Amino acid sequence: MSNPNDPGLPPNDPPPNGGPRNGGRYGKPAYRTGAARSDAVPMMEYSRVTEADLKGRAVMEKAGLRLVVAAGGFSALFGAVLIRLAMVTIVSPATPHRIDRPVAEIVAAAPHTPVDSTLPGQRAMITDRNGQPMAISLNTVSLFADPAMIGDADDTARQLKQILPRLDLEDTADRLKRTKRFIYLAREITPREELAINNLGIPGIDFRPTQHRQYPLGRTAAQVLGGVNVEETGFAGVEKSFDERLRTNTDPLRLSIDLQVQAAVREELVTAMTTFEAIGGCGIVMDVHTGEVLAMVSLPDYDANTVRSSPGDDRLNRAVGATYEPGSTFKLQTASMALDSGVAHIWDQFDASHNISIGRFTISDFEGKHRWLYLPEVLAYSSNLGAAHIAQAMGSERQRAWLKGMGMFERTGIELPESARPQVQPAANWKEIVTLTVGFGHGISVTPLHVVRGTAAVANGGILLRPTILALEPGEQPEGVRVMQPSTSDIMRRLMRLVVTDGFGKTAEVAGYYPGGKTGTAEKVAAHGGYKKHTNVAAFMSVFPMNAPRYAVYMMLDEPHATKATFGYATAGWVIAPAAGKVIARIGPMLGMLPDIKDVVAINQSLAIPLQPGRPPGAPARGPGGATIEAAAKVATAPATPASPPRPNLTVPAIMLPPAMSRPSPNIRRETNQQTPMPPGSGTVRVLAVSAASSNAAR
Amino acid sequence: MDRRLWREPSFDLMAKILQVNWLYVILLCCLAGVGYITLYSAAGGSPEPYATRHAMRFAVGVLIMLSIGLVDIRVIARLAWPAWVGGVVLLGLVLRMGHVGKGAQRWLDVGGLQLQPSELMKLALVLALAAWFHRASRERVGNPLFLIPPLIAILIPVGLILKEPNLGTAVITLMLGGAIFFAAGVRWWKFVMVLLPVPLVVKFAYAHMHDYQRARIDTFMHPESDPLGAGYNIIQSKIALGSGGMWGKGFLQGTQAHLDFLPEKQTDFIFTIIGEEWGFAGGIVVMGLLGLIIIGGMLIALRCRNQFGRLVALGISCNFFLYVFVNIAMVMGVIPVGGVPLPLVSHGGSAMLTVMVGFGVLMSVHVHRDVVFADADDDG
Repeated sequence: MSNPNDPGLPPNDPPPNGGPRNGGRYGKPAYRTGAARSDAVPMMEYSRVTEADLKGRAVMEKAGLRLVVAAGGFSALFGAVLIRLAMVTIVSPATPHRIDRPVAEIVAAAPHTPVDSTLPGQRAMITDRNGQPMAISLNTVSLFADPAMIGDADDTARQLKQILPRLDLEDTADRLKRTKRFIYLAREITPREELAINNLGIPGIDFRPTQHRQYPLGRTAAQVLGGVNVEETGFAGVEKSFDERLRTNTDPLRLSIDLQVQAAVREELVTAMTTFEAIGGCGIVMDVHTGEVLAMVSLPDYDANTVRSSPGDDRLNRAVGATYEPGSTFKLQTASMALDSGVAHIWDQFDASHNISIGRFTISDFEGKHRWLYLPEVLAYSSNLGAAHIAQAMGSERQRAWLKGMGMFERTGIELPESARPQVQPAANWKEIVTLTVGFGHGISVTPLHVVRGTAAVANGGILLRPTILALEPGEQPEGVRVMQPSTSDIMRRLMRLVVTDGFGKTAEVAGYYPGGKTGTAEKVAAHGGYKKHTNVAAFMSVFPMNAPRYAVYMMLDEPHATKATFGYATAGWVIAPAAGKVIARIGPMLGMLPDIKDVVAINQSLAIPLQPGRPPGAPARGPGGATIEAAAKVATAPATPASPPRPNLTVPAIMLPPAMSRPSPNIRRETNQQTPMPPGSGTVRVLAVSAASSNAAR
Repeated sequence: MDRRLWREPSFDLMAKILQVNWLYVILLCCLAGVGYITLYSAAGGSPEPYATRHAMRFAVGVLIMLSIGLVDIRVIARLAWPAWVGGVVLLGLVLRMGHVGKGAQRWLDVGGLQLQPSELMKLALVLALAAWFHRASRERVGNPLFLIPPLIAILIPVGLILKEPNLGTAVITLMLGGAIFFAAGVRWWKFVMVLLPVPLVVKFAYAHMHDYQRARIDTFMHPESDPLGAGYNIIQSKIALGSGGMWGKGFLQGTQAHLDFLPEKQTDFIFTIIGEEWGFAGGIVVMGLLGLIIIGGMLIALRCRNQFGRLVALGISCNFFLYVFVNIAMVMGVIPVGGVPLPLVSHGGSAMLTVMVGFGVLMSVHVHRDVVFADADDDG
């Protein structure tokens, strides 16, 4: 304005009548009645300009000026809006994000190749050996709040609860009342929920993009995959053991698992577990030549997508994270070590006519034959007494050395953090009772994968491999350790096949796949020590095809219950061997093997071994006669004779019986009758002479 | 009180009718016509349900405007403070028993007509302030104590409106009062002094806002961050405007608006229909029309020879300007979504009524532009 000191009267404003200037400041007007106004409007009542008139006119003048200023301000704002209008209509119009192509066109243009790479910064995908996705990271949205901006926490929680029923009302309200500036309210919000929450318009509630690990197959291989915590860091399974790799390298991590095989094993195991009301189960399929694990199932399992809310018991990976007494499946080791070291031969007989009592423990046979058994019979009929005698003949030192060589004292080395260490008696406690019981798989606890690994070495020609959960490159052959002679493995393959053709494992037979194996029923150790009757772990350790072993299949049920269909038996041969057979029948074709029925006679013949092999002329033999036992004992104690040089040809072609003859027959029974006498063998006496063994021997 | 003018034979009813600014009435009719056409389009090419009612309301509004225009400005001046008291009472009533809509109590149901007292309050406030400063022309204008009563007269209704709560109208009312203070000649530095603590007040106000108010402001800051939430309106509105281009898609051809992408297209967001169907050119024409009405109001203010009339005309023009500016700026995403209609174009009876009453007062100012008030002690 013209004069900030005098808003009332601009100094340049002359009195309209040309009279003397009103010298008074505002508030101090000089009294004067003005002259008649010449420019007065005719309608005006006053014809003279008063002091008040002058002031009023001055104010009006000022108001006029200010009006112009205001009009200028309006114009400026109006102009700004006009410019904005030009912007949004012409210069840079917003375009709708709407589909302007037919959907079919878009679908056609979309890439058809499956997503095989992960976006930078995302956690790498995990696939099975064939590239099928098992774990994928998705971009999702999480709901978070700034409690400082939340007005009414209870009301906000109530509104959110209406949209997200999974929220806990009180908990959410409590969290919203915290003094932190950032709290997560919910993760993995769907777009629909996000829209609904947005429409609430609550300040302080916001979303942020997060990653979400998705396991498309849910329960399949859940324990193998493990899971990630809320920070997307692996805390179990492959997610944990390869956490660094998954975060730094976006290439998919290819596991050795074959999802088809995994699903088949799981399905058969679930069926068996339901049928026999078992509390758990475990299934493993391993390539016996590479150590790659093609399937690893542990029941009960859980949906990997909800791993953080699933019970801890379900998360247990029984295949690698739990140790069990292997039971009779361990007799394969006992037989292998005796044959490989020359301590026993297939024609040797072992006393199964009497129970062995040591201290308060008594070793007995399940459905025993109550006679001396040939070595093949010990396996086929799963004789604890026979196995104990074989182990006794081996002695604790060589038994321990063998088992150590088979990796039974260490972790298997598979790349899973849950991998457990076996529970083994220390050398000082490895008393004779331990030697005897370990002979048939008690008094030692290993994981199922230990059994599979050891059996694979028995079947594959004698090479111990480190089991792996990662797929090998085609043609890659991992380094193994030779743990037995190929000839021993060859005999063992026949013996394993014999168990299926003539022994307790008949229910696992699958035409055309020539499976071999060994049943194992171990009574469970009670909490207070000792064994629980009628509470067992039933397992079937098989390899197929026995003429050229490819895959090891292990199936196990924890605490199965007998049914009518099993005539009250809850033993492995009844409850789990059939499931193993079904698995073999199903996964064989998946793994590229068609059943070979055309060559059935030739293959069976090549695998045949008599239950009661005849002794080659001149060869020493153990048996009821007792004399040779002393000789064998001498051999056993003789220094540095793990593989006695003058071993006879163990494949015994000369005396091999035709396949039909290898079946149990009256002829053999007669033979047995002939050989039944002489129960009080010196060996038994020796066992009894062993003082009361340590009470923890059976643990 | 001098009553001579009433008996002036040369200023009878007929003379007054002749004094009415018919050009201005035609301008208003043009704007209402734009409203009719646009509402016709908003209804998908039908006079029902919006356009016919709009035209009928406007006809009633014109009658009300002319009736008020013929009332002597001095009578209006004498009614200024009673109107203010009445407005405050209505605001109090709406808080007690008002119709609750969209989380706020803003409406009073008066015989089927939804009355928004805050709109009437703005008019009453303009009148009251003008009456006060009219008297000030003969008083000590610069005396700070003299400014306290009008300040209170502003703050009481603003506080009540805030409590409804209706943030947008409260701010507009505050700006309206400021405009009259400004036109009355209050010194610049006093405005500066008042404006200085505004950031603090804003911070305080933000902390005490309702959720939906805060959401509106947050959304305004980043509308694209929330395309399906509260930012939806603004984005869809901008898309509609952008699809119009220079010349528009043509009458009844707007898809964005017709396909119901736009909520409240017949009320607050009606300008987007204009922009989509008539393009930038149509927008310019409508804004030009609105600008002419505002400038016309300012000219009436300038031509008025009494301070009361001048301030009232300015206040009404300013109110109209704020309506237009807030609405169009909101539609184009310049300021937060505020729920302010485009006067005489948007569908809605209550707003139309109050606007036309305001124009009636403006017309009265124009008709009585040369009237000089009697002794200052008598009025106000």
